[in-house]
This record gives sequence, C-alpha cells and structure tokens, in this order.
Amino acid sequence: MEYAIETFSLTKIFSDWWGRDKVIAVDNLDLQVCYNEVFGLLGPNGSGKTTTLKLLLGLLHPTKGRSVILGGDGSDPKINARIGFMPEESYLYRYLNARETLDFYGRLFGLPSKVRKMRIEALLDMVGLKAIANRPVGTFSKGMARRIGLAQALINDPDLLILDEPTTGLDPIGTRQIKDLILKLAERGKTILLCSHLLADVEDVCDRIAILYGGKIQAEGKVKDLLLQTDKKQITTGTVSNETLKRIKQLIQDEHADFELTCPMEKLEAYFIKTVTTAQEQAQPTSGAVSTTQIGDFLVSTTSKENILDKLVSSSVSQENPPQAPTNEQVVHTEGSEPEPDKELLSKLTKTAEPAQPKPVIQNEKVKTEPVEPETAEQEQIKKNVLDQLTDPPRRIEQDEHKQQVEEDKSQTGEASDA
Amino acid sequence: MRSIWVVATNTIRQALRLKIAAAFIILLLILLPVMSVSATGDGTLKGRLQTFVSYGFSLTSILLCLLTIIVSVYSVTSDIQQRQIYTVITKPIRRYQLLLGKLLGVILLNVSLLIVFSTVIYSITCYMPRFFHATESELSEVNNEFYTARANIAPPKLDVSKEVDEVFTKLKQAGQLPENMSYSKIIAQLTNVRKLEKRAVAPGYMLPFEFSDVKPIDPNKSLFIKFKYDVSVTPPDSQIIGRWVVGDYKYIRYGEQIETPVYDEVHKHSIRTSHEIEVPASVVPPDGRLGVAFLNHPLNDTVVIFPLEDGLEVLYKADTFSGNFIRAVLLIFSRLTFLACLGILASSFLSFPVAILFCLVIFCIATFSSFIIGSFNFIGQNLSSVYSYSIKPIIQLLPQFDKFNPTKFLVPARLITWYLVAKAVGLMVCIKALLLLLIALLVFSFREIAKVVI
Repeated sequence: MEYAIETFSLTKIFSDWWGRDKVIAVDNLDLQVCYNEVFGLLGPNGSGKTTTLKLLLGLLHPTKGRSVILGGDGSDPKINARIGFMPEESYLYRYLNARETLDFYGRLFGLPSKVRKMRIEALLDMVGLKAIANRPVGTFSKGMARRIGLAQALINDPDLLILDEPTTGLDPIGTRQIKDLILKLAERGKTILLCSHLLADVEDVCDRIAILYGGKIQAEGKVKDLLLQTDKKQITTGTVSNETLKRIKQLIQDEHADFELTCPMEKLEAYFIKTVTTAQEQAQPTSGAVSTTQIGDFLVSTTSKENILDKLVSSSVSQENPPQAPTNEQVVHTEGSEPEPDKELLSKLTKTAEPAQPKPVIQNEKVKTEPVEPETAEQEQIKKNVLDQLTDPPRRIEQDEHKQQVEEDKSQTGEASDA
Repeated sequence: MRSIWVVATNTIRQALRLKIAAAFIILLLILLPVMSVSATGDGTLKGRLQTFVSYGFSLTSILLCLLTIIVSVYSVTSDIQQRQIYTVITKPIRRYQLLLGKLLGVILLNVSLLIVFSTVIYSITCYMPRFFHATESELSEVNNEFYTARANIAPPKLDVSKEVDEVFTKLKQAGQLPENMSYSKIIAQLTNVRKLEKRAVAPGYMLPFEFSDVKPIDPNKSLFIKFKYDVSVTPPDSQIIGRWVVGDYKYIRYGEQIETPVYDEVHKHSIRTSHEIEVPASVVPPDGRLGVAFLNHPLNDTVVIFPLEDGLEVLYKADTFSGNFIRAVLLIFSRLTFLACLGILASSFLSFPVAILFCLVIFCIATFSSFIIGSFNFIGQNLSSVYSYSIKPIIQLLPQFDKFNPTKFLVPARLITWYLVAKAVGLMVCIKALLLLLIALLVFSFREIAKVVI
C-alpha cells in the first residue's frame, strides 16, 4: 500500500565541529503514515519528534536512510505545494501585518490574486484575527502569532498537513478549534501528521500514534487499540430514581463486579469556552484574538478542488456555507464510554512528558452494560436544544435542575459523535 | 521567476520597514544639501563644484555600499537566525530562488536609491552657478572645464626596448655596469632615460607628436593642449617661449597640402606647472590623426623636456556632462552589485556579525587595493617576494574599486568611456560577482537550513 509518508531507517546524528558523533537524534526510524490518517508523533522533550519533521521537510539532511513524502522528496517544490507546515513556533516577519503575511505565503504558492484574497479573508476569520489584520505581527502575542502560523499552513489547502506542537501557546478555544479543524480536514480526506507532548490533544484527534523515545519508536498503533480497556464497562443514564439505582447495584453485585456511582462533571475546557463565548456575545472589547469557531470554507467543503476555487472567487465567504456549528457543539463531546484510566497508561509510556492539560474526569455512573447506541435524529435535536441552553446563562442558573438533565443528555450525544 | 519576485518584494519591504534604509536615506538627504553650501573648495565656482561633486559622490557611494552590505547580509541571516526560513523554504520555492530573490531585492533597492541620490546631486550641481550668482568669466570657465566630459589623449607610447638592449650590451661589454644594481633596475633606468630623450627638444629644434582617434563632438568648440615644461637649465624668469603648431599630422610631419586650418601661435608659459592652450576644434582632420608640434625658441637657450607622466596631452569635449554623470553612476552601481553578491555569499554560510565583518574587510581592501599593492614594492626585497606570491594575487582577485572611482573622472571633467564602464561591469559584475553568487548558491543549496537543536 502507498503511504503518504514513509521513512526507511531514517537516522540523524549530530556531530561536533571535529566530526565526532555527539547525539543520535533519530535512530533508524521506520515510520509509515497512511493517506487520510491523523497520525500523532508523541514523545518527551528531545525525543526526536521535531528533528524527524525537519528531516521529512528537507530542512535537515539525514545521516542515513531516506524518506518519501507524498511519493516524492520533501524539498521538491511540486511536493511542497501540497504540504502545509506549521513549525513549533510561529516564525513570522515582524514588519508585515497579518494580512500581508498570508498574502506573502499565498504568493509563494502562486495562487491567483482573487483566490488569494478570498482565502486570506476566510482564514483570518477562522483564526479570529480579522479585526487586527492590519497590525504588524511583531506586536502579536505568542498565541496570536500561532494562529497566523496555522493560517499560513492552510493557505494552499494542503493534502498533507504537518503540525509541530500545534496547540502550544494557544488558549483553550484555539486548542479546541485546531482539534476540530484536524478532525474536519481528516473527514475531507486529508492526511495529518502532528507531533506533540500534550497527550489530551493527541488522544482527541489521532487515529494512530507512535511514541518516540531516544529517536526510536517505542510503541505504535491505533489509539483505540492501545487504550481500550476491555475488562471495564461504563454506562451513562438520565435521572433515575434511587430505587432503580439500588436495583442496578444489586444486579451488578450479583455478578461480583465493582460498582461506582458519581455525577458527571463538566470539563474545564467546556466551561471556559462557554464563558468566553458569552462574553463575546455581549461584545466586550478585546485587543486579542476573537475566535469565531468557523473553519475556512475552502477547507471543509467536500467538493473537488476546482469547484472550491470557482466558488471562492464567485461568491462571498459568508454566503457560501452556513456557519459551522459553534464550538459548544464540540464541547459536549465527553469521554462517554471511553474507559477512563487511559491517560495513566499514556503518561507511563512517556515518562518525562510535560503534564497533560488538566482534564476533569467525567465520572459517570459506571455499570456493566451493552455499548451505547448510535446517534439518531432525535438526539441530534436534543443537541440543538442543549446548545441553546448552554449559551443562555441566566436561564441556566434559574433552571439548575434542568441543566442536570442537559448534562446527562450531553454525555450521550458526546459518545455518539466520538464514536 | 514568480517566487524570486515575491521574495524580492519582501526583501525591499523588510529594508524599508525595519528602518535600516531609512536611516541612510535621511542622512544623505540632509548631508547632500548641507554640503552644497559648506563645500567651498578654493573659493572659485569651479572649486566649489569640484568639491561638492567629489564629496557628494564619495559619501553617497560609501553609504550605499554599507547599506548594501547590511541589507543583503541581514535579510538572509535574519531569516535563518529567526527561522522564518522554515516556513518559506517548505513552500514551493527552490533554495536558489530564495537567494536570487534576496539579491534581486537588494539590487532593486540600490537602483532606486541610486536614482534618487544621483538626481539630487545632479540637480544641485546644475543649480549651483545660479545660486552663487556666477559671473560671465566664471561661467565660461566651468562650462569648459567642469560641465563637460573631456577625452584626453596622450601621445602613443614609444617602444624603446631594442635601443635599451643595445645600450645594455654595450655597457656590459665595456664593463661599465653598476655593480650593486639588479638587472631589472638597470633596465628600468635605461628605459626611462631613453624615453625622456625622445621627449626632449634642444633650442631651435622642433618636436612633433602624433595623436590618433581625436574625435571632438563639435568642430566649432575648442580643444585643449595640456602640457608641462621641464628644463635642463632654469631660465632667469622661469618662462619658456614656445611656438605651437597644431593641425593635420600629414602637414606637420611631411608638409603635405591639407584642407583643414592649422593653428600656429607663440606662447610664453612658466615652467613645471600645467598649462592649457585653447585651439579651435576645426583643426582636427576627418581621420582623427592630429599633429602637435612644439618649436623650442632659440631665445630659451635650454633643452625643454615634457615629463613622461603628464607632460603633454590633448583634451577635447567628447561628451556632455550628463552622459558622463550617468556613466559615473553606472560605475557605482557595478560596485554595489558586487557587494550585494558578496553579502549574499557571506551570509550563506556565516552568521550576521561575522558576515558583516567579512564583507567590510573585503570592501576596505577593494577600496584601497592599488595603495596596498603599491606598498608591497616598498617592503624589503625578500619579504616583498613572499607577499607578491601570497597576498598580492588574492588582492588582485578582488575588484579594484579605486581603479573605477568615478570622482577621479568627474572632478577634472575627464571622459568616462563606455569602454571603462564595460570593463568595470564585466570584471566586477559578470566575472567576480557572478562567481561569488554561484558559490553562494551552491553552499546554500547543500547546507542544512535548520539549526542543530535537540
């Protein structure tokens, strides 16, 4: 089978001035990334993740071995035209403003000026920098510069997106947005290679991961295969009477299995995004990034490339696609039926990794049960209602009891969309 | 080509927005007008003009050279150091295109700045006579000796090696060779003596010179015979009386019948200083072979010698001041282009401060190259040979900026020939700069862009 990225015993040894070998950064790496796959390269600091990416892109020369990327060489312009690369920090020209920066990269790709303009506006909208697009990027905070870095990686509508630590320096909304974007792009058939040590991010979006340590792959496989605990089951319910609970408990104890009962908690990420969204709706002034959670139309449209270009030049951005569902919809994704202690396993594998982003554990009522049913049209409807209620704080406080109900519904829909 | 252009415009933007160029531009825009008032020279209008053009041109040239070095080095090294190159080089652009784009940006910046500043200098120069309310005589003086481009032709060099060889063998046979002198020194001395003999004239005798390719643009204007007398015995009043005959060479030498007029006048001039006599340009025959004859008046009672270096030459207006000015600007431009390539080369493998230092050293050596090369001749015999086989060839590989210094020509209103411009462009740009650029492209194409980070 053809791979989007394949390396053959790729090795990079940094030597000192006298030519003596100093550090083996990448050691006989055989990596395969399939087309249409979100592949995560994990590893503690200094494990060779970034060096691998640089080798792939031709920024470094391999000491030994070779790599094939989209069927060609990583420094070939024809291949480069299909790649979007976001380095670990945004290295931008300080003296250009956001719009000029994107224009510069767009011109490097030889995009016609109309297409370029449309895409720039769409991307600026997407990364929430439209209001400050005329400020020199030298005055941007790290996170804002990151957003531009992301936008420049997407300007050519790449087939392969290489992201180095995509979420560092971003606020939770930006993080969420990048994760959504990755999922959307994957849906559209793009290949994404990301490297990170923020395990929560990787876990949310990656199909397959490889864990690097000392330049070697220590573990590799599908995230679900690696993390699924088949000996535990979890069940989430709506409000049930104490009587029913007792009966369930009895049933389970009859089988001599563990039983734990808790109420699910909202994730801090979800809560944060909710708060900021509310503030945005009240139009409070900010000099920072204003995230619309919209994703650039040309990126998510499923039509063929030619059509997208045509559409972009023929109609305005906002008319083209209805706005994507706001972030809140994504927020309601929770770990649902996903077994909980996976993170422990991950962190064990990557001992020196930085602590993962705090991620409140959703303690659902856990009962051995059958897998959750797939999403139905009715549940879709419920999701909409949930959104309404989440973005309407006063009502939420008054109807506290109702909210409880909502939360439980939410975790169900979340499961479905995760699956 | 597209990517080269994109990078070039970005480089120009960088230079302008980061205020590197702005500092130089403002400095020049202030200094040039100030200099036009403060530069007085010897007090005459011609002196003023000469000082202003000389200083103005030198200052512009030096500042633009520095600017070129800084911009070309900075735009490449900062990309590597601040890593913008990661996102640029992973776009569909080849590495050589990136470097060529940077070079093109620097060159375009140079062209536009050169146009601006040379326009400023040119307009100030042209406006100066009116500003200082010049008199008629002053005006005619500067028109003849400054606002012009005069070609100078020296009499053809004489080949005396045969005669020198004969004298040498004679001396050797007679055993009269000085003992503590090397062969080359004896030959040099003998040659000098022979050559001076050819340019010496006894009282009552006539000495004809031939000048070929004399092509004044306007036969109604004048041409000038510039000369300097040297004498064996100083006359009491330090003056020499001479009869000057200027016309077709065939008439002067062989007395043939000719159609063009002949200039024939007697002048009295002081010795050991340069003088010019004005001759109507109509005496020049159509084939451009001009004869100039000097008759040493018997009253002088001394041998008159025309020194080898600047003893005698014919000056005539060969082009306009503007044409000369444009060629002077072209000379500076070729220098800037060389420096841009040098900066690109240095930054393709050196970091910012080292690359700047490297370029400045080369710049200084190139500026003073003939002084440096000349100075080797004064070092002791043994040391000199060490230098002449090690450092001298290296310096000769570098361009010689002082050889193509435009002020050297503009101040005495000498013609800068297209041949000289072509030579400067050919040597500095087409050969040396291109070579540097090729090395830079090679180095840059194969080096690792990313830093060693673990």
